[in-house]
Amino acid sequence: MGKQILTTCAYCGAGCQLYLNVEDGKIVSSTPANGRTNEGNLCLKGHYGWDFLNDPQILTKRLTKPQIRKNGVLEEVEWDEAISYTAERLSEIKAEYGPDSIMGTGSARGPGNEANFVMQKFMRAAIGTNNVDHCARV
Amino acid sequence: MSMGIPEIENAKLLFIFGYNGADSHPIVARRIIKAKQKGAKLIVVDPRITESARIADMHLQLKGGSNMALVQAIGNVIINEGLADQKFIEDHTNGYEEYKEFVKKYTPEYAEPICHVPAEQIREAARAYAKAETSMILYGMGVCQFAQAVDVVKGLASLALLTGNFGGPNMGIGPVRGQNNVQGACDMGALPNCYSGYQSVTDDAVREKFEKAWGVKLSNKVGIPLTHVPHRVLEEKDEKKKIHAYYIFGEDPAQSDPDLNEIRETLDKLDFVIMQDIFMNKTGLHADVILPSTAWGEHDGIYSACDRGFARIRKAIEPKGDVKTDWEIISLISTAMGYPMHYNNTQEIWDEMRSLTPSFHGATYEKLEALGSIQWPCRDESMEDKGTPYLFTGGKFSHPDGRGKFFATEWRPPCEVESPEYPYSLSTVREVGHYSVRTMTGNCRALANLEDEPGWIQMSPEDCDKLNVKEGELIRVFSRRGSLMTRVLPTERVKPGATYMTYQWWVGACNELTTPYLDPVSNTPESKYCAINLEKINDQAWAEQCIKDSYESIRKNMGIDTAKKEV
Ligand code: SF4
Repeated sequence: MGKQILTTCAYCGAGCQLYLNVEDGKIVSSTPANGRTNEGNLCLKGHYGWDFLNDPQILTKRLTKPQIRKNGVLEEVEWDEAISYTAERLSEIKAEYGPDSIMGTGSARGPGNEANFVMQKFMRAAIGTNNVDHCARV
Repeated sequence: MSMGIPEIENAKLLFIFGYNGADSHPIVARRIIKAKQKGAKLIVVDPRITESARIADMHLQLKGGSNMALVQAIGNVIINEGLADQKFIEDHTNGYEEYKEFVKKYTPEYAEPICHVPAEQIREAARAYAKAETSMILYGMGVCQFAQAVDVVKGLASLALLTGNFGGPNMGIGPVRGQNNVQGACDMGALPNCYSGYQSVTDDAVREKFEKAWGVKLSNKVGIPLTHVPHRVLEEKDEKKKIHAYYIFGEDPAQSDPDLNEIRETLDKLDFVIMQDIFMNKTGLHADVILPSTAWGEHDGIYSACDRGFARIRKAIEPKGDVKTDWEIISLISTAMGYPMHYNNTQEIWDEMRSLTPSFHGATYEKLEALGSIQWPCRDESMEDKGTPYLFTGGKFSHPDGRGKFFATEWRPPCEVESPEYPYSLSTVREVGHYSVRTMTGNCRALANLEDEPGWIQMSPEDCDKLNVKEGELIRVFSRRGSLMTRVLPTERVKPGATYMTYQWWVGACNELTTPYLDPVSNTPESKYCAINLEKINDQAWAEQCIKDSYESIRKNMGIDTAKKEV
């Protein structure tokens, strides 16, 4: 049996509400919901923009495994290795050049507010710098 | 936005500035059409004949980059014709006398040759704006991506102050942002100068509060903006002041930043580049570590709409592959670096954020569940506080003295203007159906079929005749920074000498051409405008083959088996 999940469209700042219709663990369609801003309407992107989750590989490929560049080539690794390598390199750079030599970004796209909060906390509390910013401004 | 999206349809006059609703936010555009049906007047300021311009009562087709001159000329007319709201100005604002003095010289006749808009039309627009019962200003990237962006925004706010169009329903001024969660990234403190809720990192009391909560000493030095990174990597001589590591999370600077050559050089020069994203992208080609994360639809959380509305996103399906949520990845790295962070779910993160952020404190998960969406400020946890549809109620502003401040400054021409060598202007625009750098929409079958690489350049029929090019033909476009090929699209909607390209294409990436000049205050790149030249390509078959080859090679780089893939 399918289920309907209420969510907010990921494509622009209008904040339209929609249902993702899920069958056998796959999204098969979306239905407009009666949100504050969209009142039962969606544009093309709200109607069809979920398809990238099925990874049809038209333009690029979903990333499915952490990778580390070794001798110039990206190689798939386990999470433990990716995390400890990243932490080590960041710690080394911080020790050598100071916290302000590291820059981090927030994301104005899919991750959501909580991930942005955690990112700026990480940059400020763990790295020790206010060097955090995201792409679009004003 | 000082107002909410639903209020748009109830305004008596809409003043739409450099914002193409139909292309960037179709649902906002719907409200604009509704407002019109309810009898609202529509004034559109845009160099192109956009969808909104077509239904407008008045279209000021100004020259790109002349916004500031036009805005101040409108202020000039409002004052000179006695249309200003003197009571509102007296009760709720500061700086009116200086403003009045400054805009004196910006008469419509002074602005006409700068803006290419007839003086009489400027007068009419100013009168209509000032006289309507409630007027609302909407502005978009057409304003934000010019180097004088912040000035123009303050100038527009001054028009609303001048006419008392703040503090009540169906009025005010609103940026309509492109990407879905720009508002959210700002709200959460992904900014070099503030924590969540726009609390300043240089305010001692604020910083002490965060230090206490996080158990660590925090820097009181404002961080560097993203757009300064290339300079801090390529030109900074002092090793201690250089940027050495770059943690890129959910962004693709190697596709979306102005001047792509410079960005690629920057990424290669850095000691360490971390890329955390859902798709392979151009930045990933330069990364030292790639951390795969869950996508929208695979995780929980909250977004902020452009009108300050928080709303939930929910997990619908299990992610495929060995991926983690963004916040979990960051927490793991932090813990491994000796600063432990651990959360079980997004609600725990949200609750920590709320406890530190007074203006969002009342927006609990429970309340969002019940109400669907809450516009901040929302301070109180009780059900009574349902958020704030419009800001500055009763003319009370967020400055310490509660008064709105007038602003005026000289108009400056765009940093790069047309010259004999580069006689055309190029502006970058957005297209319906595709979403900024396209890793998401480009991978949705129904949307990918809308258009094909390498995209189009819009030109006036006069310019097409001059260059002897036809619709669909490939043409070479070059600027001082790079060159590319794209298809010709003749259209009556643009003026001769002006051209437009969309910025989501991979082969015809128009940011190969654009300038890295920045607005000094917002640090937004002036990617809207640069000078270019155009050249007819005689051997079209060769050009088509080039495009095909480069498209295939991009897809191959992104890890797609191109031989197998022809669905
Ligand atoms: S459905 Fe369209 S208008 Fe609504 S949020 Fe999504 S992209 Fe924006």
